[in-house]
Amino acid sequence: MNDAETPGLESRLITTGVERLALLGRHAEALMQGYTNDQVPLEGLSHTALRKLLSARIVWRPDEQGGLKLTPKVRELIAEMVADEARRHVNADVAEALELIRSLIQSYRDSSSRGDYWQQEQQLLRLRQAVDDMNGRFADAIDSLWQRLNSDFGFVSQLNDKVRENDRAQKQVIRLLDGLALIDFDELIELVGSDGTLRKVLISQLQQQISQHYTSLREVQHRLIELMARFRRMQARSRLVSGMAAFLREHPGFTPGNYARRSEVPALFNHAAPLTAAGAVALDRAQDMPTISALLQNVPTPSRAAQSVTAARPAEHVEDTLIAARQQALKDDVETFYLNVVDRAEQTPISALDYLNQSELQWPPEIWLFQVIAEHQGLPHSEQRAFHLHQQEERASAYNDVKLIRDVSLGLAV
Amino acid sequence: MSDMSLLPHGPLLERLLAGEFICAVSDESAFKRLQDDATREAIDSYLRPLNRRVASSQEECVYFLAWRQLDDSARDQLARQLGDTVNSLLPLLEWLQLVQETLGRDSVLSPGDVLKPGELQAKSEDNPSLRERIERLATDSFFGSQSDQLDAQVKQVFKRLREHGYLLQPHGDRQVFLVTGKVDYLLELVRFIRDEEHLPVDDEGEDTQEALL
Repeated sequence: MNDAETPGLESRLITTGVERLALLGRHAEALMQGYTNDQVPLEGLSHTALRKLLSARIVWRPDEQGGLKLTPKVRELIAEMVADEARRHVNADVAEALELIRSLIQSYRDSSSRGDYWQQEQQLLRLRQAVDDMNGRFADAIDSLWQRLNSDFGFVSQLNDKVRENDRAQKQVIRLLDGLALIDFDELIELVGSDGTLRKVLISQLQQQISQHYTSLREVQHRLIELMARFRRMQARSRLVSGMAAFLREHPGFTPGNYARRSEVPALFNHAAPLTAAGAVALDRAQDMPTISALLQNVPTPSRAAQSVTAARPAEHVEDTLIAARQQALKDDVETFYLNVVDRAEQTPISALDYLNQSELQWPPEIWLFQVIAEHQGLPHSEQRAFHLHQQEERASAYNDVKLIRDVSLGLAV
Repeated sequence: MSDMSLLPHGPLLERLLAGEFICAVSDESAFKRLQDDATREAIDSYLRPLNRRVASSQEECVYFLAWRQLDDSARDQLARQLGDTVNSLLPLLEWLQLVQETLGRDSVLSPGDVLKPGELQAKSEDNPSLRERIERLATDSFFGSQSDQLDAQVKQVFKRLREHGYLLQPHGDRQVFLVTGKVDYLLELVRFIRDEEHLPVDDEGEDTQEALL
């Protein structure tokens, strides 16, 4: 129906495609053997069938002597179809490299047994290159992982992207470790046999390198998991802060339980009241004196301006003279009282208080009596005897034996 | 265990008694010493007459002094303290969010992070919404700023955070601050309150990666 519209080329493509896809089904068993066993068995394949498979690039021959192998694309296709793609796809690299190495060993041993030394050298060279390639692939992958780790996945800015990148890297590590696990040294030892050169390249060197890769990958994996835990903690912190803040904004009156009153106070809330360890200068230890005096000398001089001393003096002076003048006046008045007693004709003693009242002096009675007694005591002994000072005393109260002086009377002692 | 072994810890004891939180940022050498069981025991027995002991947060990011015996007066003090803490939660959490968003960081501040008030100020200067948030935060009673100037507000917020031990200013003359372990302590408190009160706050993602180790 569409023949008229379909260009010739496309129809030929479709025909060829259908034909060649059919080849896969027709030789499925042989091809699956090639997938699992590395080589496609030639038995049961007609010359025509083989030619068709080769021209469809479903199988190929690595070299004239080598067997028939699946092409990488077909291997990938099968890996995908049988759903162990994730593993196989990455492992395919290692597995492929291993296949190459196996076949190169075989060829090397063949050349060796034929005594073809030139060929042997060529094979050894290729073998070394193949081993280096396989090594290099791991080293590159590990290097890239470290780069990502050391930058904390800095090439993506969002925390969520970092978490995803970390996850991807962890999967890569697992695939690489699976790849390493494919390298079977028992098998290699068997393949190498007693050949010293091969043993050196494939066993001692490779084993050392592989074990280094293994250690590195384990370390990378450990660090990735740690970093992932940190990322997750960071995510959790952000969520906690924003979640709690939102809750508190919505519930302004929120109060938690009174944890302080519980029989078991939660450890987090048990924060004791602060206590200050105060100290002061102590002068009771002789050996501290030099230190303290040094401290004293280092005390900074107060920054406030010194007060003028002359400004303060007159005020003090006025007060002093005022008090002294009153004191002197009192003394003078008491002396006058004494002279009065001496000058009087009568011998009867005179009451000090009566005198005070009569003379209209302004002294308080108590002060007056004090001064009269003080004047008497201040006299030289000889003059003291010339006067007779009588104190009128009474008890403070019925129960208090303190004697209060009510008045004194002064007379000549003649 | 003798008192002699405490001699080098004098300054540390004084800081602990003063109510400080010791973390790897605030005093690395003291923090390391406190991680040693024998030192902690020696300090504990020294503090016994003062009714105090060395305690740590769950994740041992900070050490501080706790009451040894919880008598009535200790409980009163703790209840008052709890009230203060609850009142400070929202402003502190909002500040953490604000810094994270303003500086475009992908995580909440952690101990050891460096903060410059100038940077925060510069980034919010031309952003009215950020300015408004800073103003609202700074005038909260916990931060207590009286100013309507952005720089003074930011300064006051940093000052209060330093006073409360969440930030450390290594050089008094330089406006560079370090986040201390007390931020972790704060988040532990938040997580505790959330769990205890069954608050609908989710932080999933605390998952089992570590279990794989």
